Amino acid sequence: MTRPLIILLVVFAIGAVFFGYNAYNKPHTNVAQSQASETLLASEIFVAFDTNEQAAMAIFSDRVIQLEGELLSKDLSNEKEPQILLKGNGEEGFVRCGFKPTELTKVLALTDSSTVKIKGICMGFNGSEELDLLDSKDVVLSNCIIIN
Amino acid sequence: MNKIIILFAAIVTLGFMAFTNHSGGVYKTNTGNINFFSHTAVEDIAADNHKVKTAFDAKTGKLQFSVLIKDFEFPKALMQEHFNENYMESTTYPKSTFTGTIDKMSAVNLAKDGTYKSTISGKLTMKDVTKDVSTIATFVVKGGVVNAKASFTINPTDYHIAIPKTVAPKISNEIKISVDADYTHDTK
Repeated sequence: MTRPLIILLVVFAIGAVFFGYNAYNKPHTNVAQSQASETLLASEIFVAFDTNEQAAMAIFSDRVIQLEGELLSKDLSNEKEPQILLKGNGEEGFVRCGFKPTELTKVLALTDSSTVKIKGICMGFNGSEELDLLDSKDVVLSNCIIIN
Repeated sequence: MNKIIILFAAIVTLGFMAFTNHSGGVYKTNTGNINFFSHTAVEDIAADNHKVKTAFDAKTGKLQFSVLIKDFEFPKALMQEHFNENYMESTTYPKSTFTGTIDKMSAVNLAKDGTYKSTISGKLTMKDVTKDVSTIATFVVKGGVVNAKASFTINPTDYHIAIPKTVAPKISNEIKISVDADYTHDTK
């Protein structure tokens, strides 16, 4: 085997290891540094999912979405992920936004019934009419940050 | 007059009991936890979901769960991507549900703080495949909150989750699913 060929193989091997390592350790989406692919009202995204979940999944899921809506309540019952509920559609339809625990102070500062702007990754639509005990439906966003 | 007083006292007492003793009605949460864990000699894989929607009927023991597959968070983004795109096809099958019963609901005294156990049995649906699941759950009643914990194992192939041969050594045939939820009485 000639010397240039050995060098080429070594360089290729180092490159492959570097690429593999970076791919394996690539970071999660940084919501704060990501441009929102859609900006809309919380009630609008709820209607989109409630009307046609499959179509809404194709548009919104896995994307960073910016929403504006009325804060109905803060749900701090799970310390691993503080959450807020934005008004979606009456009393049985909400937009549920989950935050990292590091955002707790900002979540606590929010006032019920105020209008809030958030950005987060859309995960889908939870709840089902087939499950009678789980009557409410939520559009779910994760890794949210508060904009205003 | 005495009869009227007794009747009035009975009504007040029953009304008070109905208000304070949550032995009936629906208990629910939208912030339950589900963790899954795969252990092999090559790699341990775990993911968590903290927005599990679940409820039970305290009278009948009927129990339901609904969980968004995409909302499982992995320590590594690449694992999460493979889980959603290659294995769970979560855009096509966005939810997993469980419908079943708390078999010994009457043994769980929701009006009295304490620890209770009951088997839970029902049907778990993932990727449009439904299988029977049964396990023992522990219920801890404290101050009106009912914490339920349970775990069971599933085999991915039972739910048509195809694992490529190249990564098969990294993914166990027995995935442990652990559930931990704090239910409160639904006052609606």
